[in-house]
Amino acid sequence: MSKLTIPIGPQHPALKEPECFIITVDGERICEANMRLGYNHRGIEKRCEEITYIQSAYLIERVCGICSHSHSTAFIQAVEEIAGLEVPKRGLYIRTLFGELERIHSHLLWLGVAGHEIGFDTLLMYSWRDREIVMDILAMVSGNRVNYGMNSIGGVKRDISPEQADAILKAMDDLEERTKYYIELGLQETTLIKRLSGAGSISYEDATRLGAVGPTARASKVDQDVRRDDPYAAYAELEFNVITDDHNDVYGRTLVRLGELMESYKLVRQLIKNMPDGPIRKKGPRKIPAGEAISRYEAPRGEDVHYVKANGTDKAFRVKVRAPTLANLSAVSKMLEGDYLADVPIVIAAIDPCFSCTDRMAVRNIRGGATEMHNPGSLRNFSIDWYRRRGIDFTDLNKKLMKRLERV
Amino acid sequence: MANEEAIKKELEEKFDFLKDKIIIPRERRLFTEPVEIEDFLKAIEYAASKMDFDILTTITGLDEGESIVAIYHLARKDGTMLNLKSKTPKENPVMKTISNLFNGAVFYERELVDMLGVQMEGLPEGKRYPLPDDWPEGQYPLRKEWKREMLDAKP
Amino acid sequence: MAVQILEIIIFPGFLFLTVFAMIAEYLDRILYARFQNRKGPPWFQPFADFIKLVAKEDIVPECANPFVFKLMPILALASVITASFYIPMWDNKALFSFEGDIIVIVYLLTIPTISFFLGGWYSRSLYATIGAMRNLTQLFAYEVPLFLAILSPAILAHTWSLSEMTVFFNNHLWLLPFNIIGFAVALIALLGKLEKVPFDIPEAETEIVAGSFTEYSGRLLAFFRMAIDIEMVVGASLVAAVFLPFGLGLNPVLGFILYILKVVFVIFLLALLRSVFARLRIEQMMDFCWKYLAPAAFLQIVVCVILKGVLL
Repeated sequence: MSKLTIPIGPQHPALKEPECFIITVDGERICEANMRLGYNHRGIEKRCEEITYIQSAYLIERVCGICSHSHSTAFIQAVEEIAGLEVPKRGLYIRTLFGELERIHSHLLWLGVAGHEIGFDTLLMYSWRDREIVMDILAMVSGNRVNYGMNSIGGVKRDISPEQADAILKAMDDLEERTKYYIELGLQETTLIKRLSGAGSISYEDATRLGAVGPTARASKVDQDVRRDDPYAAYAELEFNVITDDHNDVYGRTLVRLGELMESYKLVRQLIKNMPDGPIRKKGPRKIPAGEAISRYEAPRGEDVHYVKANGTDKAFRVKVRAPTLANLSAVSKMLEGDYLADVPIVIAAIDPCFSCTDRMAVRNIRGGATEMHNPGSLRNFSIDWYRRRGIDFTDLNKKLMKRLERV
Repeated sequence: MANEEAIKKELEEKFDFLKDKIIIPRERRLFTEPVEIEDFLKAIEYAASKMDFDILTTITGLDEGESIVAIYHLARKDGTMLNLKSKTPKENPVMKTISNLFNGAVFYERELVDMLGVQMEGLPEGKRYPLPDDWPEGQYPLRKEWKREMLDAKP
Repeated sequence: MAVQILEIIIFPGFLFLTVFAMIAEYLDRILYARFQNRKGPPWFQPFADFIKLVAKEDIVPECANPFVFKLMPILALASVITASFYIPMWDNKALFSFEGDIIVIVYLLTIPTISFFLGGWYSRSLYATIGAMRNLTQLFAYEVPLFLAILSPAILAHTWSLSEMTVFFNNHLWLLPFNIIGFAVALIALLGKLEKVPFDIPEAETEIVAGSFTEYSGRLLAFFRMAIDIEMVVGASLVAAVFLPFGLGLNPVLGFILYILKVVFVIFLLALLRSVFARLRIEQMMDFCWKYLAPAAFLQIVVCVILKGVLL
């Protein structure tokens, strides 16, 4: 059979977000894999130069739906570093706690997606059922399931009450028990092992050469974890192991993530137990003095890097976001070569890709042939209009908001 | 901070052009002042091969008015970050690829090409990133003079 | 003649099979959902799906061969229904039977897979082409074990007619446990035939969208789905008739209830199997079928031949 070129994406059931992988196959074997990224570019970096730091913190949180806390923490850390703000201990602990809860929900999400990609829907249903436990905890403490809005410059916004702490500890017990079951499953279930081992193999040398990060790298025995190497928030005071594995393939990545889940439960317990009393935030300045800082954060998917340059005003001069997926994508092409077509979805999924993070544009609305360009303001008006046509009026609220904005 | 001082000293001894141009804002962080591209290439090669800075976390492009500055954020296993800067005039921004040193740098360099209009010498052929294929030519969104309205204007 | 036509069209023919197949699909889905700790669809979901699909527009891709493209769903549907006429369901006698009908049944049950292949191949879409190739590859993997597993009881019964086989086993009920390997092989091969997890490789959603069915929509897709549903019922009835033929020919009502129970039991096993496995890769499936499944089926034949020599 001659070679076929198959587009996986921009719209494809295996990808939850629009990206295009162009796969050339010879029968079932992949000879070449190319990719086209950028479908999700939203111009967040540019926008951050036009709005204040406080507004940016909210915008940056929306870089990604899953690791929202990672991005906002990374950004705020950089801003705090430039401003020279000492964040109160309790604030740091709560920040870290959210980071770990986010990791738990992200890894459980990944486990389900991985199950779905290899046609093991039962695993998807089970792990997403269990993910609800941590989602409920997040909703209970922050009021939101995703995009928690916990971070602010100088600390966090909400405190944790003793009752909430108890509920978190109880949830950790439940989750730990379930995770043990998944680990057992991962070690025993034949079809699962058959499908995962050998897929998307990448050696230690290639993983370091191509700059892979996070669980993807750690499954190839690359011993790096920003939480330990370059500690931030409360990590310097906590005890945990960095999980590595030498399977080099998707199976190894699964084991690493499952192991990290267990470590996260441990970390959450330590955080609750050792949480100091005191204030949760210190008021930050509106204007940030000139300077630059780079902040690293170990997001569930790998190392998240934010660079901020301030010029003494209340707006950033430059914000740069490097999401972990971009670092891992170079490795994906390498992983896919020589693999089976059937492995494409799981290999791509195994880096836990988050393309929204990766690409960060003005919104285009193509209707009736004409391309309308929306800026955030007109987009807001568009949504108000949309709701009004459906009988929900925001005019009064809108006026109030406008007045307040004018005052500012 | 002894570790950081040692790195600073080693770099300053090795490269004249880096003398008094290295700042240590805090533990595990080193920033340099922007240097010319030829000098920069020497420094980055040295740092990558001799000083174990073998992780390129990302490249940040900055529009500094007169010149375009690129910051190469290098990291070491022990968590130390060395931020090397190179600069090029904005009228004719030309840089050289470092993808021979760091294979993973290609995406970050493409981003510089698309967002700031830098000409990257030696960059391997490939699809652009991250802007769409029908993006108007000569518009570079991260340059300071670029405004959203410029997109609506007909060429 | 008139009675026969009525039988073909209404009971136990086309109309009954259609309704039963939908109920079977519902059962399969709800069981699968319950195994996964989900609520599952309401009872009318398969009917609603069918009505919705039938009401939609048929789209034939520009590059596709319209004749083949439209013919294939109908061919698949026709062949599975025809196959059902030769399977004794609740009586010792099928609607039609002759010496050698077991071959015809297996042959007729192969046609749907071939029609998926042709339908996919002629729709000329990339995903459908790959799905079609996989259909065919998979056919070669499961068909032989399935065939061997079903033939071995026939060797024991010394007949090529399914109806006569059930008569034989009803007289020698103690022989049934010896066919257990064949039963297991047939069940697994049936999963391959029905393209269900772990053998849903030809329509692996996350890899090739919907495989052969990618370009199908509206009525044509509804027919395909109906064909798969009926294939499930007919496959389950075949397995029930070959390996669980007890209680046939006693009493029509009791026989009917027993038949339904048997089919539901087979569907239960199928749903259970597909909820505990991950999808295999095509080459892993070939491996599994030829390394384990086919030898197991051969073992069954050996068991049957020895039994026949020693005991009968």
